[in-house]
Amino acid sequence: MNLRIYISLLILPFLSTAQHSLRFQPLFGNQPLELETKIYSLHDTDSITIDVLRFYISGIELLQNDKPVWKEKNSYHLLDASQPGTLQIALSTPEKIIYNAIKLNIGIDSLTNSAGAKGGDLDPTTGMYWTWQSGYINFKLEGKSTECNSRKNEFQFHIGGYATPYNSLQTIRLPFSTVQNTITIDLRKMLLALNLKSNNQIMSPGEPAMMVAQLLRQVINSVAP
Amino acid sequence: MKKLLLFLLIGFIIFSFKSGRKSLLTIPSNWPALQYNLNENPLSKEKIELGRALFYDPILSADHKVSCASCHSPYNAFAHTDHALSHGINDKTGTRNAPALMNLAWQKSFMYDGAIKHLDMQALAPISHPDEMNESLHHVVEKLNQSAFYRKKFAAAYSSSIITGEQTLKAISQFMLTLISCNSKYDSVMNKQSVFTEQEENGYRLFQKNCSGCHTEPLFTNGYFENNGLPVDTTLNDTGRMKITNNSADIYKFKVPTLRNIEFTYPYMHDGRFKKLGEVLNHYTNGIHHYSNLSEKLNSPVILTSNEKVDIISFLLTLSDRKFLFHPDYSFPNSLLTATNK
Repeated sequence: MNLRIYISLLILPFLSTAQHSLRFQPLFGNQPLELETKIYSLHDTDSITIDVLRFYISGIELLQNDKPVWKEKNSYHLLDASQPGTLQIALSTPEKIIYNAIKLNIGIDSLTNSAGAKGGDLDPTTGMYWTWQSGYINFKLEGKSTECNSRKNEFQFHIGGYATPYNSLQTIRLPFSTVQNTITIDLRKMLLALNLKSNNQIMSPGEPAMMVAQLLRQVINSVAP
Repeated sequence: MKKLLLFLLIGFIIFSFKSGRKSLLTIPSNWPALQYNLNENPLSKEKIELGRALFYDPILSADHKVSCASCHSPYNAFAHTDHALSHGINDKTGTRNAPALMNLAWQKSFMYDGAIKHLDMQALAPISHPDEMNESLHHVVEKLNQSAFYRKKFAAAYSSSIITGEQTLKAISQFMLTLISCNSKYDSVMNKQSVFTEQEENGYRLFQKNCSGCHTEPLFTNGYFENNGLPVDTTLNDTGRMKITNNSADIYKFKVPTLRNIEFTYPYMHDGRFKKLGEVLNHYTNGIHHYSNLSEKLNSPVILTSNEKVDIISFLLTLSDRKFLFHPDYSFPNSLLTATNK
């Protein structure tokens, strides 16, 4: 008797809220991205590894035919490709909800950027907040490529900036449903467009950061899992 | 009757709780509105004392030798005197003179170039700078979590068993918010509790005519970025506000500092180039370089006789607030002296 009660108590939380979720899948081309050890190539003549991929997702909204049907509260998530648990976001929606699109931001909105210290994924200890100038790093991509003429062949893209005219936040809309709930980011496509021979470092807000932020729109997609 | 008494008791408790928070800060009645949103960081005695310990504790630096107070000394209105450019860890010299800290709740931005938008985030800059404290907030938080002294203090302030970066920054903010300077002779004259001498009165008149445009009362700063005609120091090439905005119209603009306690915060300007107030006044009368984006407030030449300069300086000395300098709640805390297991 006690065991039955115990088990049903365990199941109860899963019955009361719907299990809608969102999963991010970083890719290199059409393969899941492997960090650090995997050596890729963009032009056959080069070698490239990706060491760090971290970014903020915020302001998640579910839409049905362009109308918002659900908005996530306190919607700030720090995703880290080296921590797969962070790539899955549970959406605590009501059980019966219909949606065919998702709207979200890559990055943190300007109001939160100018506000005081925050906790959780927004805590400045995460290493995603600039120390020498106020502002969150929306998207961080680091690695090494034989095409980079930099120290240790490193490339470091810390994309941020929230003040006009360099607000690098990207708001994205994608088809999205319970059967199509995986969002992919193709880093091969992105790195090809970045042209590592001439660009290997961005560490502050400005035009170059804006260009990289806008690139994200072209490399992001939603698929069935 | 019992219900009424209970209601009154609850009301009294709520009322005293609410007014207790605000009374932790002395806010002069005729000052502008606060820029800092206290609702996001409600004040408490425990958080202020925690912030005070952190401010004076070199645990914030990589070698445990540099604290905030190393450059922001309480007896100099939390400025770094005697040094044109401030130095940090391993005696590394920086590129600017550490500014005085007071009345921070009224500031719209921080640092000479406004790099920091919110007081909570200010501490990140010196903590992480390789020439200042050369640490990371992440590592500082690790060190604090390993310290029984700080675990206890944070638990008292935040009722949580884990210390976070957010709590650390907000506690430091709370201490800094209490650093309010509003008890100078100038203030008591404005409150009609004393009078200027004839010389100070004349200096005040001249000050209002020539200086108030940027050094606006009662904070003695308008909080804006201005180019005051300082010829650029080519050993530093500090472009000031332009570093942050990338806008050439902002070149050589720096945030107007407060003149309160100016007697104690020498040397003057962002690079500490002037040792004496006389030199500062000489700059304004004879030394201005007419950059294209020179502050409009300096469109008319500043003309002062040497007697008038002395009068202005005597007025500026009335901005000294010894109650602020020697305030028992602002100086090195006894708790740090007795702290073991750090």
